[in-house]
Amino acid sequence: MFRASWATVAAFLSLALTCLFVFRVVPVAIAVVGSFYGESLTGEPVFKGLGNFLDLFADQEFRDGVVRTLVFNILVNPIQIGIAFFLAILVLNPTKAAKFFRVALFLPMCISLALASVLWSILLDPSLGLVNGLLSALGADRQLFFRSEGQALWSLILLATWKSVGYWMIFLLAGLVAIPSDIYEAASLDGATGWRAFTKITLPLMKRPLLFVLVADTTANFLFFAPVYLITGGGPNNSTNFLMFQAYRSSFVLVDHGRSLAISTIILLMIGAVAALEFRLFRADPKQG
Amino acid sequence: MHHKAVEKGREALRYLLLTVIALALLAPLLWMAMTSLRPQEEIFRFATTLSVQSFIPTRLTFSNYAKLLSGDFPRAIANSIFVTASTVTLGVIINALAGFAFAVFRFRGSNLLFGAVVASFMMPFEAIILPLYILARWLNWTNTYQALILPDVANGFVIFLFRQCFLGMPRELFEAARVDGAGWLCIFFRIAMPLSGPTIAAASLLIFVHQWDSFFWPLVVAGTSEYMVIPVAIGRFFSMEGNDWGAIFSAGTVATLIAAVPFLYLQKFYVQTMMSSAIK
Repeated sequence: MFRASWATVAAFLSLALTCLFVFRVVPVAIAVVGSFYGESLTGEPVFKGLGNFLDLFADQEFRDGVVRTLVFNILVNPIQIGIAFFLAILVLNPTKAAKFFRVALFLPMCISLALASVLWSILLDPSLGLVNGLLSALGADRQLFFRSEGQALWSLILLATWKSVGYWMIFLLAGLVAIPSDIYEAASLDGATGWRAFTKITLPLMKRPLLFVLVADTTANFLFFAPVYLITGGGPNNSTNFLMFQAYRSSFVLVDHGRSLAISTIILLMIGAVAALEFRLFRADPKQG
Repeated sequence: MHHKAVEKGREALRYLLLTVIALALLAPLLWMAMTSLRPQEEIFRFATTLSVQSFIPTRLTFSNYAKLLSGDFPRAIANSIFVTASTVTLGVIINALAGFAFAVFRFRGSNLLFGAVVASFMMPFEAIILPLYILARWLNWTNTYQALILPDVANGFVIFLFRQCFLGMPRELFEAARVDGAGWLCIFFRIAMPLSGPTIAAASLLIFVHQWDSFFWPLVVAGTSEYMVIPVAIGRFFSMEGNDWGAIFSAGTVATLIAAVPFLYLQKFYVQTMMSSAIK
């Protein structure tokens, strides 16, 4: 480390820190402060205290939204991380073919989520969709997917998983590569191979990468928006009416900024709470301290 | 001998699984590209029952692409490329500068500031879009390029990646240049950055993917046709008076092909950088 003058340090740091302050810290402050305000009939801001939050907690739509957002996350994160982990193991051994598959599996990342939404909405269309084409070619019944109250959430999970497993696979692959191979060799002398080696060596050593991916994936999925906006509009019958979509609707459809900012604040608090919980869970193992 | 056979069987199973999964992941893209070459009236003709013809057009036409040229879409392509390229360029420089300071300089509050920067990475952009929109209105930034570019430039995770990269460089490298009288900015641009190729590539890919992907923010802050980016344009085709599937598939194919160029070039450095520095 070198000592440098304050001016030098400032020259290197100021641009990034200013951007982070203006575009991260200030908006959070706006969200928190704004969530305590409402608008009078003339459009003037009026202090409402906890009014916006109390209104939200009394609102059935919001409470359902909390539950659906949590249910979506409880389902989608383990599914995505499980598949990504499995894929990372499949492409771990760096043969030419495995390297090709790394790229192929990663490729859906360069499709924007908006395009992926549009694409999957037609792939899963009840009458025109290719997936129903596949089902009827196999002799199975056609399904409603996004148009069905019971299937819409699962269809969104399918879309989100398609888009992102390759992305999370890369992080987990990086973790797997970092495990020194002599640990496995030593373990195999003691008779630990296959599944035993996986649970006794791989999993404990993958704790940090798994935690990183879990927290990052949870954050992304709490903010899942484009597919809901483009395909389901929160339906059918509110089955996909997640908090992020409600925050959007409150601002741009109901024109109730206080409510929207209160929902934004609650989403931020929920992400923080869930991330803290995930950190605890992964620390809980006494052997790892 | 028996052991060898088991090993072979396992490898075969591995590649079989990978092939099936990769096909399932890539089939939608292939179908989109192929369907974009069908005439409007045949787009869904072979989709209702899956067959080879569902993927291979019976009559080829570029009419969907020709129609795209006459609308707003070329403008959206130009906007997307300009916005993404600006974000990546500014983002790499600004985040690398900060990463360099955290890796090389000793100053009071360094750890605290770095902790805050990493914490900001946990603070996702999408969660603050609505308050950010209020900020953009105060600044009179709605429907401007800076509103699309600047909020996506600084990135805690990219700063972290650059710090890791510069920490790995030998101290003597910088010392020698200092003795020769070089200023820190000169050392940064002439010595540190040229040695950071893989990290620059990985950072570019991270920023690129995020900006290319962004939909909600451009939708609310710059939705007019003058500033529309590709995802917003595709969203338009999708929701405006009946879906224009010919336009959607051809626009989607163009967007994917444009993104695939930097993506395929940068991805191997991305994998490399993630492995060497990211999560340790």
